[in-house]
Amino acid sequence: MSPRPGFVLETDRATPPTLFWHGEGWRLERLPPGSRIVYPPEPMEAVADPDEAVRQALAHPLGDSEPLADLLRPGMRLTIAFDDVSLPLPPMRPPDVRQRVIEAVLELAAAAGVDDVVLMAALSLHRRMTEAELRHALGHRVYEAFAPHGLLLQHDAEDPDGLVHLGCTDAGEDVEINKRAATSDLIVYVNINLVAMDGGHKSVATGLASYRSLRHHHNVRTLQHSRSLMDEHRSELHTSNWRMGRHIAASGIKVFQIETTLNTDTFPSQFAFLQRREWEWSGRDRATYLATSASLARTPARLARSIFHSIRSPHALTSVQAGEVEAVHARTLEHVHRQHVVPVEGQTDILTMGLPYICPYNVNSIMNPVLVMCLGLGYFFNLYRGKPLVRAGGVVIMSHPTPWEFHPVHHPSYIDFFDQVLAETTDPLEIEAKFEESFATDPWYVHLYRTSYAYHGVHPFYMWYWGAHALQHLGAVIVVGGDVAAVRRMGFKPASTLRDALEMAADVVGPDPSVTHIHAPPLLLADVE
Amino acid sequence: MRALLFERSLAKVAASRLAGSVVPGRGARFGPLRLASLSEPEPPGPDWMRVRPKLAGICGSDLATLDGHGSRYFEPLVSFPFVPGHEVVGELDDGARVVLEPVLGCQARGVHPPCPACAQGDTGDCERVAFGHLRPGLQTGYCADTGGGWSTAFVAHRSQLHPVPDSFSDRDAVMVEPTACAVHGALRVPTEGALVVVIGAGTLGLCTVAAVRRLGLPGTLVVVAKHPEQRRLATELGADLVVEPQGARRAVRLQTRSLAVDGRLTGGADVVIDCVGSARSLADALAVVRPRGQVVLLGMPEPFRTDLTPLWHREVALVGAYAYGSEPPAAGRARARTFALAFELVADAGLGRLVSATYPLERYREAVEHAASAGRQGGVKVAFDLRGQRATGERRARGAGA
Amino acid sequence: MNRLLRRAVQPGFPWTAPQWPPSLPRPLPPSSLGAGYDTEWARREPVRVARAVLMDSVARGAVKVLASPRVSGLDRIAGLEAPAIFAANHASHVDTPLLLTALPARFRHRSAVAAAADYFFDRRWKAALWAFAINAIPVERARVTRRSIGQAVGLLNEGWSLLIYPEGGRSPDGWAQAFRGGAAYLSVHTGLPVVPVHVEGTHRILPRQGRRIRPGHTRVTFGAPIRAHQGEDTRAFASRIETAVAVLADEGATDWWAARRRAAQGTTPRLTGPRAGSWRRAWELEDRSPGRRAQERPGSWAL
Repeated sequence: MSPRPGFVLETDRATPPTLFWHGEGWRLERLPPGSRIVYPPEPMEAVADPDEAVRQALAHPLGDSEPLADLLRPGMRLTIAFDDVSLPLPPMRPPDVRQRVIEAVLELAAAAGVDDVVLMAALSLHRRMTEAELRHALGHRVYEAFAPHGLLLQHDAEDPDGLVHLGCTDAGEDVEINKRAATSDLIVYVNINLVAMDGGHKSVATGLASYRSLRHHHNVRTLQHSRSLMDEHRSELHTSNWRMGRHIAASGIKVFQIETTLNTDTFPSQFAFLQRREWEWSGRDRATYLATSASLARTPARLARSIFHSIRSPHALTSVQAGEVEAVHARTLEHVHRQHVVPVEGQTDILTMGLPYICPYNVNSIMNPVLVMCLGLGYFFNLYRGKPLVRAGGVVIMSHPTPWEFHPVHHPSYIDFFDQVLAETTDPLEIEAKFEESFATDPWYVHLYRTSYAYHGVHPFYMWYWGAHALQHLGAVIVVGGDVAAVRRMGFKPASTLRDALEMAADVVGPDPSVTHIHAPPLLLADVE
Repeated sequence: MRALLFERSLAKVAASRLAGSVVPGRGARFGPLRLASLSEPEPPGPDWMRVRPKLAGICGSDLATLDGHGSRYFEPLVSFPFVPGHEVVGELDDGARVVLEPVLGCQARGVHPPCPACAQGDTGDCERVAFGHLRPGLQTGYCADTGGGWSTAFVAHRSQLHPVPDSFSDRDAVMVEPTACAVHGALRVPTEGALVVVIGAGTLGLCTVAAVRRLGLPGTLVVVAKHPEQRRLATELGADLVVEPQGARRAVRLQTRSLAVDGRLTGGADVVIDCVGSARSLADALAVVRPRGQVVLLGMPEPFRTDLTPLWHREVALVGAYAYGSEPPAAGRARARTFALAFELVADAGLGRLVSATYPLERYREAVEHAASAGRQGGVKVAFDLRGQRATGERRARGAGA
Repeated sequence: MNRLLRRAVQPGFPWTAPQWPPSLPRPLPPSSLGAGYDTEWARREPVRVARAVLMDSVARGAVKVLASPRVSGLDRIAGLEAPAIFAANHASHVDTPLLLTALPARFRHRSAVAAAADYFFDRRWKAALWAFAINAIPVERARVTRRSIGQAVGLLNEGWSLLIYPEGGRSPDGWAQAFRGGAAYLSVHTGLPVVPVHVEGTHRILPRQGRRIRPGHTRVTFGAPIRAHQGEDTRAFASRIETAVAVLADEGATDWWAARRRAAQGTTPRLTGPRAGSWRRAWELEDRSPGRRAQERPGSWAL
């Protein structure tokens, strides 16, 4: 049976309650009759032989590019950059797709006699990956072959000797990227395109860039004009990255882009109910739901967190394409859209969403309040093409426990951001003008970013900017079941139940509001007419 | 007259110490303090006047004494039994309102010539507080001869009294004495343009915040406050940044952009004013002060052991700040009496609002317990209100005498 | 009496078996030992269950204690469906339990081991023991007989995987011997893939002539499954299998990338070791010893 497409369900009295993710857990909520629920398409079929698909893609590149084997020659300098721990979500069952692709690339490099090869995690300003995470992404074989010899590097956006400034784009944006990559004869970029936002020129122009370069597109103005982040053609963020990518190409740096798409088979079979439509839950699904909910209610938060973060997703490869960046990305987007797009008619007054335990920046970590904001208003809100799912002045209701808790190693600057910046103002423009520079250049954050496993000092600002368009667009944001103080600190309204939240929302948008629930994850992309 | 009397009794001190360690302020219930009917103290000399208190505050040092946590250092500098209370606004027999400057210096003690400190106006540093024609007592409220503010009457030397402007309410006036302490602490070391951290936001801390903000011209003023109401007031009084105790190091690190090794900052604040005086607060102060920075110990310390290695290694100056006297000239200001500055500051910053509760003398146990837990309960200064009590107090005193 | 006694001490016919006249041709009796041993009973359900229990409890625990295995390359056979032919180098009796316990479950509980008919099946009790314990099937080392091949093909066709040591016996010194054609032949005839496997370190635990087991570290490396090319003969395929195992050995001794580069250049070290004196062979073998690597831990930077 071929996978069924996503669709919009209009609820009535007979509709069973709807699953809302709620951090490390979930709730069943009954939406008012007449609400709409946007269901994601079912996972697409995987390619039958992923290794063969990778080999074929390398041998038959897209756009103006020779096959990879022909680009490799003895004596050349080769840098293989790959997406970091923020993709895919949750981390996939081994073997990770990066391992498959990198092994295939290295096989060709070995056959061609390339000796100078370096692997590089394209961290941008994310935290460094731990050994376990690198082993997971690359496999033990590749890790053990490269790491002990110092050939497995992680991009360091603060290494004064490790960056090279390539001049400015026509729009005056600094382009500064990793020196090893820039001085290579070829950069092979191994990408995972989980959502439409990823990939393309963003891979190199963001993944291997420095703060000096990133601030030209990671800023409030750009992000307020990225409508949405998931729609490359209407996103300032992408336009800027594309300018930079073209500038990099014009500087004579050759990039062989390999993009992969995964299906939305997000959760292991024991949690099958999480990606099933409620009315199709079998007896077993219902039993699992009841059993897991009951046991989670009795599980300490720390333990629950570590259980959830040990989930390995059965994501399967649906396509792989390689070659010239733009041609590759165009084909990638077709596959992503085929998996994600759900047509939705018209906007809604109130958009509800259940936020899960994970976002790109808390893999093996803690989902702190700033990340909750980013996931809800930065990611879920932006899962649209055309117009936002929720109308201007509408309300977003997110469900998440929003604990006032931070990972001290991974998110040190987040703590100060939350305690000192958000305590003063939540306005992105004011935050940017008043605080960004000092956080971005703080020597301690720089030190932790470079030597420990910390996100860069400026990263919490980017999280806040990610939601800047939503903050500008919405009339109010309500968090159901969150830590009241933490929710208030962010300028949101706390509610203890969805019913209360809907009541509060009606005060903002008027009586008899239309309600739409975005039933994710698994992820989707609403095509709003 | 009615008065709260503090008597020397080893058993009671021990009991109060035990009770005070269980519930702060509970010492008043078991301790050596009791409500008594006494005859009014006789003026010991010609320049002495009788003062009838209107409001008398409960100070942190009073609480330490009542809970038995105070240092034995003071034993030779006080005389028993005494009536506590040194934050006083009262009335003279002619109806004039006065604020008491409680230090019993050379002039009050009839010591002539005065000691060098008093000669210079630094009465707080007086070297004769155990000498002269009065029994020992570093301040009114610790001296057996003068009585104290927690009563319906006491005596004070003319030099101890400051007239209260009409614009001042009684609540404003009772805040002058603690404010003077804060002013003295704030001006103890230069803070112009400096990063100043004030640890503690009780009465003394908040007054210090106001003093540093208005007199010290700091670059940045960070306040470490435990309770939400304290944080709100600290912001109102001019703190640039208010943090909780556990966030203090992070905040100072961010302000100074210093690094950190195993939780210890490499840099830190220029000046830290410790308005608590506990082992914990001093350790915090030493943790956030920069090398060669200055720590002002303004809150009355209780005896404790502490590790001074960081002080030694980072060449930190630890400076005590007690009471008041005169303040050295500074930018745009001549040498001034601390109390004069305090009057201005109380008016300027509206510190009268820090008085959050008053009690009649009879409810002294509740009053003391409230004072001890004021921060947690969202309060700041607790005072005895003696305005309505005078008549009844006198009547009862007379009755007792008959 | 004397005569009776002598007869008992020096018995003759009919007390003993009669002598066959040397002039007459003697028909061979059907042997039920060696290659002729019928192991069918060892694959019946109750025996299988008993073996699975033994394997997952006793054998696994013993292997863990004695051989501390580090298994890698399982991801290469993650997508492979049973049955398959596993071809490994062979240095010790420890190899078989080590490999069987390292196999993924879908292979482990439905696999047979090709065992030398003359060594494992020469006594009835030994034959029964090995047939039960590891589901051994008797295979002639020296020649390909219709019976042993037929049995192996039959098992493979029934969905049983086969573990086979193409060297035909344990190595005398820890280095491998030249691979013979058995695995290649079976793969060609059944169309099933061969999974090359390299085992390192078992020689030190129990060498061929050893009498004592010394606990040590071992490494098992699974390679990507391979099949015969169109028109490739058994001999060429066997040599390719040997090369594949040699690359795995190189991978274990150095690292994957170095092994791939040498493989691409055709300079993979031979599985059979250097052509040199015995001390140098032993010396170089030591270099391959599977060691342990320290793990990196994040420092604490919390304020």
